[in-house]
Amino acid sequence: MSSAISVRHLTKDFRIGLRGLKLRAIDDLSLEIPRGQVFGLLGPNGCGKSTTLKVILGLVSATAGEISILGELSATSAARRRTGFLPEAPYFHKFLTGRELVRYCAQLSGVAAADLGAAVEDALGLAAMNEAADRPIGTYSKGMLQRIGFAQAVVHDPELVILDEPTAGVDPVGSASIGRMIQAMRAKGKTVVLCSHLLGQVEQVCDRVAIMDRGKLVLEGAVEDVLSRRDRHVMTIEAMTPAARAAAEAALEAHGAKITSVTHPRRSLEDLFRELVTGSHDA
Amino acid sequence: MPDMKDSLRRTLWISQVTFLEAVRQRFFAFLLVLGAAMVLSSVSLRVFDFGHGELKFIADFGFGGMFFFGSVLAVVMTAQLFFSEIDNKTALTLLAKPLSRPEFLLGKFFGAWAVLGVFVLVLAGLQGVVLWAREQELILVAEQAGKIPPTFSIVGLGQLVLLQWLRLGVVIAIVLAISALARTFLFTVVVGSLAVVAGQLQWIAQDAFLRPTDSPIYAAFLWISTRLIPNLQQFNLADALVLGSSVVEEGALISVGLSGLTYLVAYLTLGALIFRRREI
Repeated sequence: MSSAISVRHLTKDFRIGLRGLKLRAIDDLSLEIPRGQVFGLLGPNGCGKSTTLKVILGLVSATAGEISILGELSATSAARRRTGFLPEAPYFHKFLTGRELVRYCAQLSGVAAADLGAAVEDALGLAAMNEAADRPIGTYSKGMLQRIGFAQAVVHDPELVILDEPTAGVDPVGSASIGRMIQAMRAKGKTVVLCSHLLGQVEQVCDRVAIMDRGKLVLEGAVEDVLSRRDRHVMTIEAMTPAARAAAEAALEAHGAKITSVTHPRRSLEDLFRELVTGSHDA
Repeated sequence: MPDMKDSLRRTLWISQVTFLEAVRQRFFAFLLVLGAAMVLSSVSLRVFDFGHGELKFIADFGFGGMFFFGSVLAVVMTAQLFFSEIDNKTALTLLAKPLSRPEFLLGKFFGAWAVLGVFVLVLAGLQGVVLWAREQELILVAEQAGKIPPTFSIVGLGQLVLLQWLRLGVVIAIVLAISALARTFLFTVVVGSLAVVAGQLQWIAQDAFLRPTDSPIYAAFLWISTRLIPNLQQFNLADALVLGSSVVEEGALISVGLSGLTYLVAYLTLGALIFRRREI
């Protein structure tokens, strides 16, 4: 079976100014994104992540290279029919209600008239937007905008969902909610490409990651492989006394091993925040 | 055939949302009220008829408002509808779906054209009522004086509405072609307005082209001008159609209509070709 996204030797140059100076946004990028996984595309601002997504979707043309989506040439109508996209900082027509927007996007994505109602309700349910669906989009908070954006991206039940900074400007509760939506997509066997600066969340939800810098791919692999340090080990010990620690050090030294650091485990600020703040601010 | 049907549907959905967005704008309501005020005020201003017939003054004044405000609306509103999608990045969301760029542009065109249709229809309806009311009064006066009363043609008014709508369609198509190329709203509005002025003055180039000249460069310039720029004056047949002041030659209406449709399709095709290569 072909990859969800296959990028081969992609290069993108932008011409700037009257003299047509060349700015290389993507430099010979090759990437294979397997099906059914959550893939994180990471990198600092301006490293070419969003441009890569736009080229994949055919919104920007490539200077060189080949791209295919689900075995079909990217930018074709057939490939887009099987793809959902949530752009960075999404903006929608404020006069439409959430339900009208999702319906409009479902129609444009080719959902049959007979399936329209159920598809819209499913997408609104997945994004937890049923209650606010009949409110005009102009009254939505940032988190709700992202969630309704997610609903419009998945309303036609695409095999591939591309999310560009879905948690930008969203509070930790909203961000966790988006994380759950991504996991729900993975549970349905969908491929999700996630572009985000929330590294903690990427680590939690992604199966594979790629890191870009200055238009080039600097690292790609399974999250477990790229993060684990095989030459180091962590043990969490309860009720350790100084005598027990001395004994443990002696026992390890006898086998040629050495303790290099002893610290107390910490929980993340995000975990603490979510523990203390249980309600959503989006309602 | 199913592809064509799907394509038409997608175009229709874009045009529906474009229409909704446009009619909600205060700018549309403002120009509609201004145009309506101009039509209605023509009754009280008819004393300044400069020696022409009263009905002609009322018609000239009202249709003048329709031409002017309709052109302003066609240029500014079309550019605004296009750039709001690009600048707010809603175009990113839409064009990532199985929606082609020509479908998007056509949807914008039909949405804007439908709004202009409402604009022309409302003002022409008001104009018809005003002309009819004054006509009834003038018939009574003429009967008492034993003169032939002035009249106006409802059918002619209907034909004029269609011609004006087509004229504004040509303007929208030109503005969309400029929008597809331009980077800013302001540039599009300025160039679009200049294109409308050039279209209103195109007959001067046509006259000059018919006169013999020794300069091949000048002749080439005139030839290109007369073909590139549509003659927007050819749609101004209010006197002949509505007041019957002159005879409209058989086939003239069809010729004007075909000319308008040709420019409309040509500029939309040009816009679609430019927009295909635009990076969103």
